[in-house]
Amino acid sequence: MNEKKAMQAARRRSLTFTLVRGAAAIGIALLVAAVLIFVSADGDRLAHTGEALRQLLIGPLFRSNGSINVKNICDVLAAMIPTIFTGLATCVMFSANQFNLGAEGGIMLGAFVSALFAVYVPLPAGVLPVVAVLAAAAAVSVMMLIPAVLKAKLGVSEMVNSLMLNYVVMYLIKYLLNTHLADKTKGQIQSYPFQEQARIAPLIDNGSMLTWGFVIALIFVVLTSLFMYRTRWGYGIRMIGINQDFARYSGMNVAAIVILSQVLGGALAGIGGGVEMLGRYSAYSWNALPGYGWTGITVAILAGNNPAFVPLAAFFMAYLNKGCLLMSTYCGVPSQLIDILQAVIFVFFAAKQFLAKYRQRLVVKGAQEELAAQKAAAAEAAAETAEGSVK
Amino acid sequence: MLQLIFNTDFFFSILRITAPILFATLGAVVGEKAGVSNIGLEGTMMVSALFGSLTTYWSGSWAVGLVVALFCGVLVSLLMGFFAFNLKTDIILTGIAVNMIGSGGTLFLVKVITQQTEGKALASTTSLITAAHQIPSWNIPLIKDIPILGPILSGHCILTYVAFLLVFLTWVLLYRTPLGLNIRSVGENPNAASSVGVSVLKIKYIAIGFSGLMAGFGGAFMSMYYSMGWSLDMVAGRGFIALAAQAMGAGEPVGSMLSALVFGFAQAFSIKVSSKGIDSNLVTPIPYLVTILGLVAFALVLRHRVKKQHSASALEKTAK
Repeated sequence: MNEKKAMQAARRRSLTFTLVRGAAAIGIALLVAAVLIFVSADGDRLAHTGEALRQLLIGPLFRSNGSINVKNICDVLAAMIPTIFTGLATCVMFSANQFNLGAEGGIMLGAFVSALFAVYVPLPAGVLPVVAVLAAAAAVSVMMLIPAVLKAKLGVSEMVNSLMLNYVVMYLIKYLLNTHLADKTKGQIQSYPFQEQARIAPLIDNGSMLTWGFVIALIFVVLTSLFMYRTRWGYGIRMIGINQDFARYSGMNVAAIVILSQVLGGALAGIGGGVEMLGRYSAYSWNALPGYGWTGITVAILAGNNPAFVPLAAFFMAYLNKGCLLMSTYCGVPSQLIDILQAVIFVFFAAKQFLAKYRQRLVVKGAQEELAAQKAAAAEAAAETAEGSVK
Repeated sequence: MLQLIFNTDFFFSILRITAPILFATLGAVVGEKAGVSNIGLEGTMMVSALFGSLTTYWSGSWAVGLVVALFCGVLVSLLMGFFAFNLKTDIILTGIAVNMIGSGGTLFLVKVITQQTEGKALASTTSLITAAHQIPSWNIPLIKDIPILGPILSGHCILTYVAFLLVFLTWVLLYRTPLGLNIRSVGENPNAASSVGVSVLKIKYIAIGFSGLMAGFGGAFMSMYYSMGWSLDMVAGRGFIALAAQAMGAGEPVGSMLSALVFGFAQAFSIKVSSKGIDSNLVTPIPYLVTILGLVAFALVLRHRVKKQHSASALEKTAK
């Protein structure tokens, strides 16, 4: 009984600490943002900074007249689709301590492969998008096999290899698109238009690109959570992330799990690319890495590598990104501020010793309270026995 | 065709292209020797390149620009060190954050500083740097008159010579100075180093500061010589290639220089080939592919060597 209470108190303490720490990291990032905006503004700096911060923080929610802006909110939700997938992919790979940074190239490859299916493969409605997305997943899984197998069998750094693969994938896609697949009737370099039945239907028809892809993304959040916390493979992935040697000595096939985690991450990134491409676009036109992979890493860090928290983190990043876009439109602050904000939040969130003194105080306070409670209980018990003996 | 590619110009360009990779590689070598994996070299180079080119423009002197670039490189790395060593952020994640600042953050700064607005999506400082601002080249007396060797070795940017000189200096630092011994011992076994009174934290800061200095050189080379001005993603993975060169060179200065030269060769080759009319998208990834293949080859060789040692020692045992 008492122990249960103590456990609950400890859990509450760690939750308080996590929240305070997160708020502090975000607060510091916003402070940095405010300073940068203030320095970059001209004219009435204070008013300008205030207006820019207002756009950043509540711009995505409200119109200037105070009414709720549904379109903007839908935009934010739609922007979560690719980063949920790259976030999940990164969660799975980082949980196994595999610093594979290939989600960036992976989502591009996935988008490209699904686009090829959408343009060239004649399949009926309902079947085509599913096949296209699955093909994307398969393609990216194969791509991730390269760093995964090299890591598992030869100990080659999966980080460097996956980074290099990103570039290789990007240039090969550019080559294929420019030479063999381009629709020459269009002004910009893009593929032929997708077949109509390949598109993923919008969820709300207000031009926000919020498609059924959002629902698919949430389903994958649930599936990935279940996989990571309710299956032995997921357990294996988390275990080699915590202590690879222990996992090996206890008889796990570490090499297989190293490969599994990265192939699975690849599949998730590929699905993300496919869902994003078929939902948002009507022809393939990406000619550079989209950046979703890097955002996915931030999302995974914010979520503490727990798939269940990925949507929350993705929402936060999408909201911030939209705020930055609005800020650049209405206040002339370059939207790349998001990268600085992201980096600042990122390092503070991942910092184990950030606010460590505060945590220490919380723990000490908790322990003192516990001791006091024990003492009180002991005194009570003593009083009771004393009473009993008097009787 | 072969003669068109393999001429003195080509070998000259190998050295020119290798220089920035070599700087970053030396940074990676010293960092890794102290057990510090600095994957933020890429972003650090971008920041240094930006501020180097900007101060060169403001001051009109490349020397001032170079000093500022070096200063920025060290500053960014020490900041990385603060997060990694003091706040205990994973060093890989700290590096990723630096790279985020290197790609998007620098573009933000360029737009703010030069007042180029969103309309011109490709803000850069290329219009600010002219040939007069460029880091000067040096024609080596005597050597420049030697046929074949002269046109290859002479007439490089002075930083190119600095890069190759630094290979030697880094070797001296690591193997002939007390500081180098400390760096290596901290990387080998921090607990042992700390038990004999070496301040592990200080050595790690020195190592990451050194790698930032090298990234500063690399960034200055990129924006003040190689491509005259800063533009988005101009470092294009050289910081990452440097990590591969370090790994392939087994973390030793000279070996890493040789692998950096391999990447320089691959890149010079792809540039040359694409100038001959082959689609650049097909040849630009060659250096990245070579990196992967190089890492694999190195791992295989290492494995073979380890196996040989094992079997040799096993033989010895049975002989006894």
